[in-house]
Amino acid sequence: MTQDELFAKIQSQFPKIEKAAIQIKDYLTVRLASKDDLIPVAKWLKGIGFDYLDMVTATDYLGPVDMKGYIRQANFNPFLPEGATPEIESAPTAGFPYRPAIDHLWSFVSNADKARVMVKLETPRDGASVPSLAAVFKTANWQERENFDLLGINYEGHQNQTKILTPDFLQGHPLRKDYVHVKDRFDE
Amino acid sequence: MAMILEKLPGLTKGLPGGDLVLTTSDYLIDLGRRQSLWPMTFGLACCAIEMMASYASRLDFDRMGVIPRASPRQADVMIVAGTVCKKMADPILEIYHQMPEPRFVISMGSCANCGGPYYDSYSVVKGVDRIVPVDVYIAGCPPRPEALQYAVIKLQEKIAKMSLKKGLATSQQVKGSRDINA
Repeated sequence: MTQDELFAKIQSQFPKIEKAAIQIKDYLTVRLASKDDLIPVAKWLKGIGFDYLDMVTATDYLGPVDMKGYIRQANFNPFLPEGATPEIESAPTAGFPYRPAIDHLWSFVSNADKARVMVKLETPRDGASVPSLAAVFKTANWQERENFDLLGINYEGHQNQTKILTPDFLQGHPLRKDYVHVKDRFDE
Repeated sequence: MAMILEKLPGLTKGLPGGDLVLTTSDYLIDLGRRQSLWPMTFGLACCAIEMMASYASRLDFDRMGVIPRASPRQADVMIVAGTVCKKMADPILEIYHQMPEPRFVISMGSCANCGGPYYDSYSVVKGVDRIVPVDVYIAGCPPRPEALQYAVIKLQEKIAKMSLKKGLATSQQVKGSRDINA
């Protein structure tokens, strides 16, 4: 099955799905119209042979990143006088589409067809909430916990949405672009 | 140790009585300690690969009496090989306290020394010396196996200075630099 055939097959079933503007490597990348489509699409993809959920991840597109989130001072050179111009400044990358949005990504793999479909969905950044796939794919359970831990995304219907990677005393979600580190007992 | 055992019959033959050697207790105790430094087997990151290479046949750590032990209760030295995450800090401290005295710590690589490339990270301890006292630091990212072996030689030199009169403390220990509660 070529990519175009696969995309036609998906679109015959879900007409609202369209191709994403930026393709991920050479994989078919589609974008969902709304978060309500996610579970039907995942169930349908599982039915036609995409029986392995490779990856659940997301990206925060807020920017540019503020230096205050870093542990180090903007002026870490001790020989500079007080109030000198900071040596490190956050500068926006020209042409990069910064926006207050979180881009979700699910990667479905068909081991029989050796094919892969990337499913994307953009939601607003504040209170980002998408349906949980843990009921369809068991592997989604921990990956969604990781995304909750690092990005603060709420997965609706997740059975055990708790921290999985960061230590218990760490406050906030470190991969969010507005994360500011709260000093703990291991920092000075 | 091997060298001394080989020479010992010759040395004792030359002495009056034939089987008596006079030495200081400090020398004898320090000799036993420094020639059998058994490290605790654990690796945290990519430095552990270099540590494993040191144990393997090409670089052969065994010739220095360094035999990795699987239990902290049998170990003398802890080689902190890799990045110390804040979540791993408490287990490391627990392992350190499970090791019998006298215990030594080698901090291997930039991450264990000072946080290294992860200095700005939210999850990395900026140097293992913030949680346990360190005897020898090795620079490098990661250090070569030769550097690790040189660190063991340096630690052996340090142990050779330990003395019963000072409560078997090294000169640094006397100054209080190894006091974990200070």
